[in-house]
Amino acid sequence: MLLAYRCALASPRIRAAAIEATEFPQLADEMEVRAVPRIVVNRVPQWDGAVREPVFVERILAPAFE
Amino acid sequence: MPVFRPEDEIRIRELLDALERPVELLVAHGPEETPLPGAGDLDFGAETQRIVEALAALSANVTYRVEEEPDGFERYPAVAVLPEGEDVGIRYYGLPWGYELSSLVGAVVEAGKRESSLAPESLEALAALDRDLALDVFVTPT
Repeated sequence: MLLAYRCALASPRIRAAAIEATEFPQLADEMEVRAVPRIVVNRVPQWDGAVREPVFVERILAPAFE
Repeated sequence: MPVFRPEDEIRIRELLDALERPVELLVAHGPEETPLPGAGDLDFGAETQRIVEALAALSANVTYRVEEEPDGFERYPAVAVLPEGEDVGIRYYGLPWGYELSSLVGAVVEAGKRESSLAPESLEALAALDRDLALDVFVTPT
């Protein structure tokens, strides 16, 4: 979670939200949350689990999100 | 019931005292979803506000305000973390309790830094970003 927040602080183009999955079950269902942390970029589910900073940055910047 | 255990309170106070710039927390109230069975009569909005009040009480570097359905929020309750009062897009949606309290404290600590905690390589990559990214991280309190 902190990596997402750090990215939002570092770039004016990035916003980051933590969403408590059990409190918003409908949204969690739509994003197919089965495990946490689940990372969703521009409303498209991407991956589950914590990753190291270089991997995190690489993944969120991947061309697939364009 | 106190919000923080005594040992946690000492640690959080130390972290917040080390902030290099003031951080404001904005508690956003609004229509809430029906909680899951088992949540009982817990008032998520009121609890969220209680946690934020308790955090702000630990350090002069942290202040908070409360608003009803402010612009820029998708669901409620929510907390925005505003470094020097500026909205940079940091949100916590839901009640930041249990393990997730550390996410909120961590957000405040990061927002209170003048220099990014990210590696220079990461900052370089992010600086080249030419589109908007919305990162949503689903979490649970346990």
